[in-house]
Amino acid sequence: MDELSFRRTIYAEPNTTAPNIIQAAKDDPAKQAFWDEVKAMDAQLAQAMNIPIPENFADKLILRRGMDEFSQKRQKRPWYVAIAASVAMVVGISYMALFAGNNGLANDVYAHINHEYMNKEIAMSQQLVSQNAINQKMATFNGVLSGEIGEVLSANYCYLGTIKSLHMIIKGKTGFINLFVVEDNNSKELKEDFSADGLVGTSFLLQSAKIIIIGNDREQVSQLQTATQSAFRF
Amino acid sequence: MFSRNKNQSSSVSIDMMQKQKRYEALVKAFHADLFRYAMWLIKDRAIAEDVIQETFLRAWKSLDSLKDEAAAKSWLITILRRENARRFERKQFDLVDIDDVAVADPHIFGDVALEHRELRRIMSNLSEEYREPLMMQILMGFSGDEIAEQLNLNKNTVMTRLFRARNQIKETLLGEQLKGEQVNG
Repeated sequence: MDELSFRRTIYAEPNTTAPNIIQAAKDDPAKQAFWDEVKAMDAQLAQAMNIPIPENFADKLILRRGMDEFSQKRQKRPWYVAIAASVAMVVGISYMALFAGNNGLANDVYAHINHEYMNKEIAMSQQLVSQNAINQKMATFNGVLSGEIGEVLSANYCYLGTIKSLHMIIKGKTGFINLFVVEDNNSKELKEDFSADGLVGTSFLLQSAKIIIIGNDREQVSQLQTATQSAFRF
Repeated sequence: MFSRNKNQSSSVSIDMMQKQKRYEALVKAFHADLFRYAMWLIKDRAIAEDVIQETFLRAWKSLDSLKDEAAAKSWLITILRRENARRFERKQFDLVDIDDVAVADPHIFGDVALEHRELRRIMSNLSEEYREPLMMQILMGFSGDEIAEQLNLNKNTVMTRLFRARNQIKETLLGEQLKGEQVNG
């Protein structure tokens, strides 16, 4: 086997098991040395490709899938299954029960802001989400954040039913405020103001997007609404 | 009739549990490799993370179509590449100069030893048609035939690209060594 085709094969497939290659290397120490060198380079490349993965990434992927399924399945679920739902879900269910049959999108929004879910979401987020990181995600909605909306603890895509939204958790004076960005044509059925169980929500149109804000204090919600109107551009 | 319904719904929930188990196994087995693959493709941690999330959501939705567990890796890479391509279909997408960013800041891949940083820089400078088959071979352990199928190329083309990819890396490394010696000398 000539030098060139040997080198070509080794460069293309360092782990080749082709008998003629193995034989050629056996017959010629220079070829074997070249092969060893390429294998060593491959080992280096493999290590260099080994990028650290985000913390708790597997758990996050499993949780996110669960939330997606949860908000889609709920509307189809018959009543007796809902009644049999576990005690652990009581908090979440009580939000829904008040709103059942009333407003699909609002239900999905409430599913995303129950305490358990939000704590996990915040725990897995980095300390504070930078404006730059938010804007990368905002690009999906053709939007830009250029002003102050407060300390953003988490910003992630969430599915409200089948509708993709960007869910931000913002630190308020007394508790967390949730802000969802949804494409307007996907959110027709949501009422302007809604409230349940000590939570108040508002939704409004901002250029081409719909913004949904929910918190436990009406004043904070309307403050954030004002801030949002000047901080976002779509 | 009621009891029949009940049986059906309990078998449905057993199916769901099995599906969930299968899904979790897939996530655990492949999320790290897929994330690394996405990072080399996209060169941005936040976007790579989102693309992987989308990939696994899609995977869940069509999990029943995955009949053979042995094909799972190729199947997931197919979904990942499709999800990545979808980003470019969106209207506003201002990340064209991402390659410059990646070259300017090797730390986006995390802290690494100096020689790896160098290799990473060289790899991110490779054109995508060389980098992608190389990642599939080294990172994902795909055979030449599998790469050919993924990239929709014939095997000879794949082998040529792999050859050129390593050749380019080697030459860049040698070139830098020479330059280094000249500077030192």
